[in-house]
Amino acid sequence: MHIVDGALAVPVLAVGAALTVAGVALGLKRMDYDHLPQVGVLSAAFFIASYIHLPIGFSSVHLILNGLIGLALGWAAFPALLVALFLQAVFFGFGGFLVLGVNAVNIALPAVMVYYLCAHGISSSSPRVAAIWGAIGGAGSIVLTTIMVAFSLMLSGEAFLLAAKATFVAHIPVMIVEGGVTAAAVLLLRKVKPEFLHIKDETDYA
Amino acid sequence: MHKGLWLKGWLITALLSFSVPSALAHNVVGGVYAIGNQIEGEVGFSNGDMAAEGTQITVTDRQGNTLGLVATDSEGLFVFTAAQRIDHQFFANLSSGHVLEMLLPADELPDDLPGGDALPSEAKRAISTPLAYSGDQMALQQMIEKAVAKQVKPLRKEIAEYKEKASLQDIIGGIGYIFGLCGIGIWWRQRQLEKQQSSIAKQGQG
Repeated sequence: MHIVDGALAVPVLAVGAALTVAGVALGLKRMDYDHLPQVGVLSAAFFIASYIHLPIGFSSVHLILNGLIGLALGWAAFPALLVALFLQAVFFGFGGFLVLGVNAVNIALPAVMVYYLCAHGISSSSPRVAAIWGAIGGAGSIVLTTIMVAFSLMLSGEAFLLAAKATFVAHIPVMIVEGGVTAAAVLLLRKVKPEFLHIKDETDYA
Repeated sequence: MHKGLWLKGWLITALLSFSVPSALAHNVVGGVYAIGNQIEGEVGFSNGDMAAEGTQITVTDRQGNTLGLVATDSEGLFVFTAAQRIDHQFFANLSSGHVLEMLLPADELPDDLPGGDALPSEAKRAISTPLAYSGDQMALQQMIEKAVAKQVKPLRKEIAEYKEKASLQDIIGGIGYIFGLCGIGIWWRQRQLEKQQSSIAKQGQG
C-alpha cells in the first residue's frame, strides 16, 4: 500500500499533499479532544500493524486497519494516519517523505468513506448485522485503497487496469483477513466499549 | 461459540486463498555490483520474495540516456555488460508503486573500459574482445575479482537484509512519539480550557 518515492509524477504528489492538508485540517477541527488518547492508540496500532507480517503460505501479509480506524475516528483518521505514516517512513523506511501526502490520502480517505458508509450498520441492534457491516468496512476500505493506489499510478502514467488488477489481486488475502478482524473488533467493542465506535445507546443490544 | 467458529472460518479461508504472489507494503530492495565489466544485480522485496521473472530493468547513464534493457531471471537476478566506464543507473518497476533505483559508480568498473565520452565504436570493441583473453595478468585479475565477488555476495545480502530490519528500539520509539504527540495535544487542550475558565472567573469578579 505504501507507494515509494520516485513512482509518482510531481502533480500527483502535489495534489496528494494538498488533499492531506485539507483532510488533516478538517480532522483536527472535527476531532473530539476528549478522545485524543483513543486517536493516539489507533495511530500507534496502525504504525505497528504494517510492520508485523503474518506468514501465510509462501509469503506474508500485514494488516492495514484503516477500516477500523475510520469507524472509530471518522475524520480524525486523517491526522492519526498521517502521523503514523510519517513515523513509518522515518523508522521503517516504508513509503517516503515526498509521497507522504498521496499515501495518507490513499489510506485515510477510504477510512473516512467507510465511516460514513458503515457507521449506521455497526450500531444495529443485531450483533450479526453489525458484524457484517464491520466486515464490509474492513474489507471495503482495502478495496477503496487499492483503487486509489491504482488511480495514483495511472495519473503518473501506468495503465490503470493493469495497476489496479495487480494491486487488487495481491490484496485479496488482506481484504479477507481485514474483514474478519474488523468484524471481530466491532463485536468486541460493542460489548466492552461502545462509545469507542460512537454508539450512544448501550441498552439497545445489551 | 459459533462466533468463534465463524472467525476461524474467516482465517482458514484467508489461509487457503493465499496463492497469489504478494507485492504488499514490503520495501523493494536490491543491489548492483561489478565483476569485471559485468554488472550483476538483484531485485526483490524485503520479505525475501524476489522480483517476478522477466521484470524489466532499465539501465541509464547519469543524464538519463538509456544504455540498455535487461530482464530478471527466476531468482530476481540480472546481468548487464558495461561498455563504458561511467555511472550506471538501474531502474526497476515491480508494479503497485514499488520502484527501485540503484547506482553503480564508475570507479567500480575496470579501468580499461572507455570513459564516459568515448565513441560508440570504441565501446563495441570493448565488448567484442573479452578481457579474459587479452593476457595472463588480465585473466588472473578477472579470476580474483570473480572469487572476491563470490565471497562478498552473501555478506552484501546480509547487510541489505540487516538494513531493512527495524529494531525494537524503532518500534518503541515510534509508539513513544505518537503518545508524546497525544500528550502535547492533551496539555494544549487543558491550557485552552484553563484559560477559558479563568477568563470566565475574571468576568464574574468584574
